[in-house]
Amino acid sequence: MLTDEDWVIDKNLQIDTSFLKPTLDSYDESALEIALKLFDASENIKVPLELNALTIAGSGANTILKTLKALRFKRVVRIDSHEDLRFRPMAVASVLTQYVLKHAPLDVLLLGRQTSIGENTRTHLLVAEMLGWPCITQAIRIELVDRNHLVVTHQMDDGRLRQRIQTPCVLSIGDAPNTYMRVPTLKDRLRSGKRPIEILSIKDFQLSDETEELIDLEVIHHRRAGILIEGKSPEEKARKLYEGHLKGSVPVQER
Amino acid sequence: MSLKREQIAEALKKIVGEDHVVTDEQVLKESSVDRFRRFEAYHGVYRLPLPAAVVNVNSTKDVAAVIKFANENKINVVPRTGASATEGGLETALENSIVVDGSGMNKIISIDTYNMQATVQCGASLQELDDRLREQGYTTGHSPQSKPLAQLGGLVATRSIGQFSTLYGGIEDMVVGLEAVFPDGGVTRIKNVPRRAAGPDIRQVIIGNEGALCYITEVTVKIFKYFPESNKFLGYTLNTMKTGFEILREVMVNGYRPSVARLYDAEDGSYHFSHFAEGKCVMIFVAEGVKPIADATAAAIEEIVAAYDECEQVDPKLIERWFAHLNWDPANLAEEKTEIIETKNVCNTTEISGNWSIINDIYEVCMQRVKNEVPDLTLLGAHSSHSYLNGTNLYFVYFYNVVDCRPEEELTKYHLAIKKIIVEETIKAGGSMCHHHGVGKHRTQWIEAEYGSSYYILKKLKSAFDPNGIMNMGTIIPLEK
Repeated sequence: MLTDEDWVIDKNLQIDTSFLKPTLDSYDESALEIALKLFDASENIKVPLELNALTIAGSGANTILKTLKALRFKRVVRIDSHEDLRFRPMAVASVLTQYVLKHAPLDVLLLGRQTSIGENTRTHLLVAEMLGWPCITQAIRIELVDRNHLVVTHQMDDGRLRQRIQTPCVLSIGDAPNTYMRVPTLKDRLRSGKRPIEILSIKDFQLSDETEELIDLEVIHHRRAGILIEGKSPEEKARKLYEGHLKGSVPVQER
Repeated sequence: MSLKREQIAEALKKIVGEDHVVTDEQVLKESSVDRFRRFEAYHGVYRLPLPAAVVNVNSTKDVAAVIKFANENKINVVPRTGASATEGGLETALENSIVVDGSGMNKIISIDTYNMQATVQCGASLQELDDRLREQGYTTGHSPQSKPLAQLGGLVATRSIGQFSTLYGGIEDMVVGLEAVFPDGGVTRIKNVPRRAAGPDIRQVIIGNEGALCYITEVTVKIFKYFPESNKFLGYTLNTMKTGFEILREVMVNGYRPSVARLYDAEDGSYHFSHFAEGKCVMIFVAEGVKPIADATAAAIEEIVAAYDECEQVDPKLIERWFAHLNWDPANLAEEKTEIIETKNVCNTTEISGNWSIINDIYEVCMQRVKNEVPDLTLLGAHSSHSYLNGTNLYFVYFYNVVDCRPEEELTKYHLAIKKIIVEETIKAGGSMCHHHGVGKHRTQWIEAEYGSSYYILKKLKSAFDPNGIMNMGTIIPLEK
C-alpha cells in the first residue's frame, strides 16, 4: 500500500509511482501464495495442476515475474502496456477475458480484489460475466478437491462461508490470512533463469469501449479518532483507561 | 554464597520498590534474548538461562544501588535501554542475571543551543531527541536505521553509527561527556568540554563497552545546525563494486564530506532499487549543510563521478523517496515477525570494515564463499554505507529460507555459518570484524584475533573495572569455560 505521503495526485489525475520500487499488492500476493499452496496440494493428491501468472504492465513488473518463474509458475506472461489502466476495470476485464479465450484455456482465475491506486473491485465480476463463469468474492482459502472441484472459503459481513464449487470459476482474493508469499532461493532463480517471460502486446487485444471517464480523484485519509489520557503516572493513566474505556469489554484476571 | 532467584528478586524489590521489579515468566523469557535469536523467540523457543528479574530503574541512584548489590553478590547484570541490539549483547548468558532496564530514564535534560550540546538520560529516545532538535533547527546528526527504536544509552554503549556518518561521524565523535555507574556502585561523570589533553580520552573506555564495564546513565552529545532545504541527493548506477570503491575513495581522500556515501552491489541493490537499476550496482550521495557547502560538495562529487564512463546518473527523487522509507519502527518489527513465521525467510547481517586496499578483495571472497558454502540463500548482497579517509565498511545482507531444521538450529546452520566466513576472511585480510553492531556474544570467539597484541589492554580494562565479573558477562570477551 502507498503511504499517504506517496499518494500524490498530479494535474492529469495520475498518481506518480515511478520513483517507488514496485511491490506486489497485498491481495495479489495472497492470490499468488494461495495458488502455490494449491500447487503443493496438487502434488500430494496427484491432481495435475499448472500455474500461470499474468499481468498487464510495463517492464517494471519483470522483477516480480522473475520471482514467480522461480516459484514454479510454468507460464509467466506480461501484456506489455504503458497505458494507465488503473481506473479502467472494464478495459482490464476485457483483456483478461480475451487472454483466457485466445491464449490460455484456464480453469480457475485468482485475482487480487483491490489495489491502493486503482479501481479493481469490479474487475473480477466483469471478467466472470464476460466469460460466463461463476465468481466468488472475498475468497480467503481454497482447497483442491479433484480435477473439477474446489472448496472455497469466503468472508461475508457476518461470517465465513465454505462452498464446494465446480470449475471453471473466477475467485477474487480478499484479506486472506497466512498468505505472505514464499521466497525462492538463489538456486531456484538460477534454475528458472533461462525460461523467458512471455511478452504480449496490448495492441493485440481489443480494449472494450469505455462508458466511464475519470474526472476527479480524492484521497481519503483513514485516521482514527484519539483521546489523550492525562495523568500523573502510568498507573493513573492505566486506571483512567480501564475505568473510562475498557471496563466491561475486556476480561480481567484477578490477582 | 550465591543467592537464589527468589532472594535476588526480593532484595531488588527492597532496593527499587516492588513495582519496579518484574518476574513475570514471559517477560523474563523475552528479556533473555535480543534480535539475534529472534527466529527462536518467534517460535517460543528460549534456551538461555532466564534472568532472575528485570529491574526498571528510574534514576542513577537506582542503577548504582542495583549494581552495587549485584557486585556484592556476584550476580551478572545485563544493561538495557531500547533493546534493539542484534548481536546477542542483551542475552543473559549466566543463571539468575539481573536485566537493568533504563528505558524509563528517558528525560531530555537540556538542549544548549549556545554551546551546541544536548544532555539526556540513558533511556531518552533518539527519535524524540532529534525531532525536538529539528523543531528548533538543529539535529544530532545521528540516524541509524534503528532511530525510532534506539535510546541514547544503548547507542553509546554499542558504538553506534548513523546514515549521515560521513559528515557527522559515529557516536564516538558526537559524545561530549558522560555519566556512568561502575560495578562498585560508584558514579563517574566525565565533564563536557570541547577537547582536552589531560591524559587518555577516558570517554572511549565507556563508549562501546556494551555493558561489559559499566552502566551508562547520562549522555551529552554535540548538536548541529540543520539545513534540510539545502540537501542535495545524487544517485548513480554502475557495473562493479570495484569502481564504486574507487569513487568513494576519491571523494574521501579529496576531503569532501557528503553526509551519505553509499555503494550497493547488484544483489543488495535489487532489494532496494530494482525499479531503476536492475542488475546494476548503485551509488548514493547526499550533500548537506549550509547551502554553499552542500552545493560545492555535490558539484565536486558530480565532477568526480563524471570521469567514470560506467556511471549513469539517476533522478535524485528516486534516492530521496527511498531514504524516506529506510528506518525501522515498531510496526516494521511486528510485520517482520509475522512474515518470518509464515515464510520462514529470515534476514540477517554482518558488518565489517577494511582499508581501501583490501575492501574489494574481502567483498569478492566473502560473496563467493558464502554462495558456495551456505544452503537455502534467497538473497546475498552487500553495501558500503560509511566511508573514511583510509577505508570503508561493508554491510553484508543475507536472506535464507529455514529448511529442514528446528528453530534452535537456524543460527548454526545459517547466520553463524555465514558470519564465520565473513569474520574470518575479514580478519585474515587485515580488516575489522565489527563495524557498528558491536561484538555482542557471538563474535567473541574471534576477539583475540581481532585485537592481536592489543588484546592485553582490553582484558586489563575488564579485570580492572569489573573484577568480580558481573557486567554483561560473555559480551566482547568470551566466557571462560
